[in-house]
Amino acid sequence: MSNALLELVNIEAGYGVFRVLHNVSFKVCEGEVVALVGPNGAGKTTALKTVMGLTSLFKGDIKFNGSKINNVPPYERVKQGIVLVPEGRGIFAPLTVLENLYVGAYNEEARRRLSESLEMVFSIFPKLKERKNQIAGTLSGGESQMLAIGRALMSRPRILLLDEPSLGLAPKIVSELFEIFKKLNEEWKTTLLLVEQHVKNSLEISHRAYVMESGRIVLEGESSEVLKDERLRKAYLII
Amino acid sequence: MFPSPGLMAQSLLDGIFLGFLYSLMALGLSLVFGVMGIINFAHGDFIMLGSYLVWLIANSVRTDPSLVSIVTVPLFFVVGAAIYTIIIRPVFGKEPLIQIAVTVGVGYVLQNTALMFFRAEPRAVQSTALNLYIGLGPVNIHAAKLVTALLSSVIVIGVHYLLTKTWVGLTIRATAYDREVATLMGINVNKVYLLVFGLGIALTALAASLWMTFGQANPYIGTSFGLLTWVIIALGGLGGVSGLLASSLIVGVMQSLTMTLASPTISLTVPYLVFLVVLWFRPQGLFGRRE
Repeated sequence: MSNALLELVNIEAGYGVFRVLHNVSFKVCEGEVVALVGPNGAGKTTALKTVMGLTSLFKGDIKFNGSKINNVPPYERVKQGIVLVPEGRGIFAPLTVLENLYVGAYNEEARRRLSESLEMVFSIFPKLKERKNQIAGTLSGGESQMLAIGRALMSRPRILLLDEPSLGLAPKIVSELFEIFKKLNEEWKTTLLLVEQHVKNSLEISHRAYVMESGRIVLEGESSEVLKDERLRKAYLII
Repeated sequence: MFPSPGLMAQSLLDGIFLGFLYSLMALGLSLVFGVMGIINFAHGDFIMLGSYLVWLIANSVRTDPSLVSIVTVPLFFVVGAAIYTIIIRPVFGKEPLIQIAVTVGVGYVLQNTALMFFRAEPRAVQSTALNLYIGLGPVNIHAAKLVTALLSSVIVIGVHYLLTKTWVGLTIRATAYDREVATLMGINVNKVYLLVFGLGIALTALAASLWMTFGQANPYIGTSFGLLTWVIIALGGLGGVSGLLASSLIVGVMQSLTMTLASPTISLTVPYLVFLVVLWFRPQGLFGRRE
């Protein structure tokens, strides 16, 4: 693989004094889709929050684009191009759809490219264009997830972290969403780190995958290889 | 004996003027509470200290109190930003009781500072260019109050514009709704809070200098304005600027009318009576949405 865009090296991290991640290492290269899968409570969300700088980091290094970002505050990491779409979407409910997208383009560089980004987001999610003046709190689950992703894209991320984007969505919407991830990567060259419970879908659209259990990485490799793993197939009932 | 229609009209007009000033007084409190979730119990004392400062400066350089705001507004912004950094930020996100305790503490410090420097005497600015009356049919318009009302409404509407139509305002609204997600959008929420708290305190300086164009400073106006502004935002139900303006005008007019119809002493209790009655029927405030 080419050189890593994002790399976590022997990370021990958690909340307050509690360690959730134990010796976690993984990397994401430019242009890749990497899936991070595992059962509930395995530490996937914590891993993403650690990348953003929202947890206590006890040991190890986080590198982005070759330099260490351990002590870079979260909002600066966004500026550098790491953006997280949080679990539960985190839509600003009282704001309109358009205002939500504007907040996504908060940093200076993104603001300069505002109209271009808006056009891009509307072409990926035409529904958002139809509803741009609607209050975001009135959107359906699928639409709010699209807004959350669109909003993250407005900041022109170099890597997009997605935390359980399909949570609580109808199966039809879930497959639409995975199509969009594929398109984002293939057509728009977006690098993705995807945390998901839909293990099979995630492994099918990703290049590489890491499997987490109890705060550790227990399996890693090419997604097609990971998908063949007997233990994994049994654990997630992939038949 | 019922007062003449002319007197009633005069009272109504004075009440409206007063109401607009109240909305400016309550604006900073509302902003800080709406964005940061902190009830600033020192809010009224900033208006009090600002009033004394205006008296001091206006009398020593012989200028109009309203012009003194050019100095006191930026000064209070800096003071507000400093208080946020030194006192509020360390307890941010802690239990509400601790947050209440620190702002109450700041209020006491301000009150006693005023007592020490200005003693307990009421002070009024001697010369104000606006102290003239314009006759208009049955009513006399006090120029100071008219200018106060006009400027107050311009500022209140200006802040509304800032919040709804600018990047800064969008950032503030996003942070107010969800600070963690705002951080994830690249917003430095600390900077937003610093700005909002600074602005909240700066607005008290402006309200104070307008108040001093016709009012008096004494160490206890802090407590009464503090309570009054709190009643106003609770009445408005945090329903944005329109709620704030409406509840301020209701309080101002009711106060002025009771002063005319009954007595000045009773008029001081009116805002609280209105408050009790309204919240009895509409706990979410007049213009608030039920959560």
